[in-house]
Amino acid sequence: MMFPKKYWTIAIAALLILMALIMISYNVKQTSETGFMRKLVLETAWPLESVKNRSIKAIKENWNRYLFLIGLVEENQRLKKKNDLLASQLVQYQEGYWEALRLQKMLKIKGPLNATPVVAEVIDREQSSVFKSILIDKGTAHGLKVGFPVLNDQGIVGRITECSWHVSRVMLIVDENSNVAALLQGSRTHGVLQGAGAAGCRLKYIPKKEEVKIGDAVISSGLGGVFPKGTILGVVASVDKKEGGLFQRIDVQPSVDFGKLEEILVLVLQKDHNR
Amino acid sequence: MGLFLVVFQTSVLDLFFVGRIGVELSLVLVIYAGFRMNVLHGALLSFLLGFFLDCMMGSISGLFTLLYVCIFFISVLVSMRVYAEQMSLIMIFTFLCAIFEGLMIVLFYRVMYDISMFGNIIRVFLPQALVVSVLSPLFFRLFNFFEVLFRDGNPQSAKRS
Repeated sequence: MMFPKKYWTIAIAALLILMALIMISYNVKQTSETGFMRKLVLETAWPLESVKNRSIKAIKENWNRYLFLIGLVEENQRLKKKNDLLASQLVQYQEGYWEALRLQKMLKIKGPLNATPVVAEVIDREQSSVFKSILIDKGTAHGLKVGFPVLNDQGIVGRITECSWHVSRVMLIVDENSNVAALLQGSRTHGVLQGAGAAGCRLKYIPKKEEVKIGDAVISSGLGGVFPKGTILGVVASVDKKEGGLFQRIDVQPSVDFGKLEEILVLVLQKDHNR
Repeated sequence: MGLFLVVFQTSVLDLFFVGRIGVELSLVLVIYAGFRMNVLHGALLSFLLGFFLDCMMGSISGLFTLLYVCIFFISVLVSMRVYAEQMSLIMIFTFLCAIFEGLMIVLFYRVMYDISMFGNIIRVFLPQALVVSVLSPLFFRLFNFFEVLFRDGNPQSAKRS
């Protein structure tokens, strides 16, 4: 033996420390490439790591699923509450989305050049057999006045008949008291569209000699200066020439679905209208 | 087995300590080797454990190798001068070794790469040292059990050459 037995410890220590120092000095300089031995260790450890990770995952899953159930009831209740809250929020957001779509449609309505559109929300409905009106959440404080036309994306809704500071009443075109200057789009024949309650509207003063077909569009004529010309009022639902008199009886189906009114557009005319 | 131990300690024990404190079983094994195994086997085991740890932890090759070899020989020297079977001695010595290891790592990175890791001494290395020192007597018993199991012989300390 090269060394006496008692110096073995020192020799082994010196050798291993030297090897470790060589490794460090080599690796401090060469940082880019992984050494062969290191690769070997990593390759050997990889299956072990894989097995270990799968086992740990399985243990964790089983632990969490079957054993660690402390606070599960509370968490379940909390999540249920959160779910309810989120569901209600989702409904609110959906409502907001649909509202935005409706408003977007309404803002595309073209009124007269001297009119400013004001969006209002329907807050109540008066739907007796004769009187057909709605209440909206805008009034004189917002520039509204009696007589201003009310529209939505489907067509003409009616006109304002009462105005408070923050609330207004809109008489719908189906109200028996409503009269709107109208014309048949195809024949350009002028008439007056009168409300007929539940039956819709009736187009009056159309001579019998005029050829009117079911489905013809009835639009506002613009006469009277209240409603913008060319806005849809409805379509002809039935025509009857057998009635006595000079004029034929024409029933009109309004284009607006009054049962689903939520937002409407009031055209605030710059010129004062006192009708 | 050494590699398995290193793989085991790097993640399995994280389960129990939620990844906050790493329990360095390999360090306890190195000390155990220094106290109870013969020098040649113990030194080689320490060298390999250090190298495996370098590879698995992604530290520079040789760092843990050097530290483990040093700790092993310090353990050998200590075991020659004191009665190394006392639980309190094992705990205190493990604690000191863990702190020494942490300090050396911090100093190494400071000197070689100019990276300041001094904050980790209190935040990381001290709690780790405390935990591993508290658990060290238990692991000593465990290592002893496995040593007996594999050797199928006398569980008492092996005679040093």
